[in-house]
Amino acid sequence: MTQIELRGVQKFFGAVQVIKDLNLKISDNEFIVLLGQSGCGKTTTLRAIAGLETIDEGDILIDGKPVQHLKAADRDIAMVFQSFSLYPHMSVYENIAFPLRATRKSKSEIDSEVRSVAKTLQITDLLGKKPSALSGGDMQRVAIGRALVRRPKAMLMDEPIGALDAKLREEMRAEIKRLHIKQGSTTIYVTHDQIEAMSLADRIVIMHEGVLQQVGSPDEVYSRPANLFVAQFVGSPVMNVADAAVAEKAASVSVTLGDAATGFEFPRALLSKLNGHAGGQLALGIRPEGVLVRREAADGFMAVETQIVEPLGSFDIVDLKVGSNMLRARTKSGFISGPGERVFARIDPTQAHFFDKASGKSLEVRL
Amino acid sequence: MAAVRTSSEIGFNRVAIVAVLLVTIIFLAPIYWIASTAFKPRNLATTIPPTVVFQPEISPFVKLFTKRSQLRSPPTPEEYAAAPWWERVVFDGGEKIVRDGKGQVQWSGYPSRFLNSLIIAITSTVLAVGMGTFTAYGFSRFKVKGEADLLFFILSTRMLPPVVVAIPMFLMYRAVGLNDTHVGLIILYTAFNLSFSVWLMKGFMDEIPKEYEEAALVDGYTRMEAFFKIVLPEAATGIAATAVFCFITAWNEYAFALIMTNRRAQTAPPFIPSQVGSGLPDWTVIAAGTFLFLLPVAIFTFLLRNHLLRGMSFGAIRK
Repeated sequence: MTQIELRGVQKFFGAVQVIKDLNLKISDNEFIVLLGQSGCGKTTTLRAIAGLETIDEGDILIDGKPVQHLKAADRDIAMVFQSFSLYPHMSVYENIAFPLRATRKSKSEIDSEVRSVAKTLQITDLLGKKPSALSGGDMQRVAIGRALVRRPKAMLMDEPIGALDAKLREEMRAEIKRLHIKQGSTTIYVTHDQIEAMSLADRIVIMHEGVLQQVGSPDEVYSRPANLFVAQFVGSPVMNVADAAVAEKAASVSVTLGDAATGFEFPRALLSKLNGHAGGQLALGIRPEGVLVRREAADGFMAVETQIVEPLGSFDIVDLKVGSNMLRARTKSGFISGPGERVFARIDPTQAHFFDKASGKSLEVRL
Repeated sequence: MAAVRTSSEIGFNRVAIVAVLLVTIIFLAPIYWIASTAFKPRNLATTIPPTVVFQPEISPFVKLFTKRSQLRSPPTPEEYAAAPWWERVVFDGGEKIVRDGKGQVQWSGYPSRFLNSLIIAITSTVLAVGMGTFTAYGFSRFKVKGEADLLFFILSTRMLPPVVVAIPMFLMYRAVGLNDTHVGLIILYTAFNLSFSVWLMKGFMDEIPKEYEEAALVDGYTRMEAFFKIVLPEAATGIAATAVFCFITAWNEYAFALIMTNRRAQTAPPFIPSQVGSGLPDWTVIAAGTFLFLLPVAIFTFLLRNHLLRGMSFGAIRK
């Protein structure tokens, strides 16, 4: 049972504020991923929870008790580093036993716990080796083993698989998930890789320039981004965002992107949902799969010209020219043969997001 | 990999090997000369041309360790027959070993000087490397106000030839009674080596990733424990390299030892040449003293050679 809570946490590096009034509640057994670009303060947040970094204001609570004044050693938290940080002069066995030796456990207890963790991670045959003799994936397993062995209140992981190659990263991702399901411990995981975040997290915490942008399940942050930053940071290929002007028509509403001559058709309900923002500075966000493309003209579809086609195997990403903007659409592979083709497109209103351009905030329009 | 080498590459390699051999011979020649003279009979030590083939003798070492006086008259045959082999060697050289009233052999000044050298060099090395390691760790891991200035200040103690301060140091030492004491020389050599040790160790400390200690901190250890359990073993290579350099400096130091000590705390370097002046110089004894004096550094360096090579190839002295 471990809950972690951050209350109004602030952190400065000199004059630069790296964490700005961060509030977050993490419940027991939850897998939380801190997601953001490098320099967004996610690692600093993690290090502050671990006790490797002091905070300038606010509280860090573990199980309701403030720990911001406690040393790292007294917080009973384990951490896996990006560089693995296995002690090079110790064998794998000694590395895993090292946290236990800090507690006053007997030799036989330590031995049985090291062996049971090694068994869980399937690294029993590596116990006698030195870290320098291990592959990247095995080093990572040992690093996780060292973190697990003490049965800490929480596991912190700082880009633990960032240093591995792509294939191994995918394998280890699955392994970490499996392990979390099996062992079940409160975990905070830092990454800049949104795919990692989406696949692992119970809840994703997106940070930008020290400010928490959105907290939500992978599905929530993907389908209901709170602001333009989240909208464009989560999801690959990236969401299309363009300036939008809303105009009322007879039976529908027309949404014109940028300087395009004609607008996309939206249901009238949009007007009421926009709730007075219709005349303001708006941005429309639409993921490539929300742009519907067909070869023949149809009601509500607009004629556009294809530009670049990126074949990605299971699907293609096609750039459609709308005014001076490019609208990226996702199509079946091979659906568009090449640039310069005339096709018909519309925006799926149910997948459209409207943002206030000035604040970047989502207007929470759901059609 | 069967690399194809061009003839010019092979030629270059041969030239390089010859050059390396030449340099090695130039460096090793004096050592060979000292070693061979240390085992020569006295009358062959200064022949021209030099004697290369000879029957090696142990007598220079016997003379080195004992107090001797010139024979006024040759020993009686009974005296000669009763003497142990090592005493006869000295008789053969026209000298006799001085004994006290109880007949005990009198030692020369060399063993105590040698011991002084060991005590002073080892203690000052341990102190300089120990303090240097802690200081370097502090500079490497913590934000120290005015870090660059402080490090420059530490380095600046080496910007003068040390002998420049010899007279003021001598006067200060005389005032506080540190003249001719072990502690005096230990302080001097420690202070002298400390800046070097701090700078060298800082380079090594910077090379050790911070994450190692952070991992230990999170694993439940204090910073001190992390330092001893994680940082020190990782820094062993750097410590060994630094220790060798500090030891060699302290071991070989001549000028201050000559000025600051005369008997009680005198080290071997000023003692050995002082023997040249007493009577007709016996170069074999001086060579024997020098030869023994070379051994500790040679052994120390040999024991740490692996660390030293690794130490040379990473860290502060890489560039």
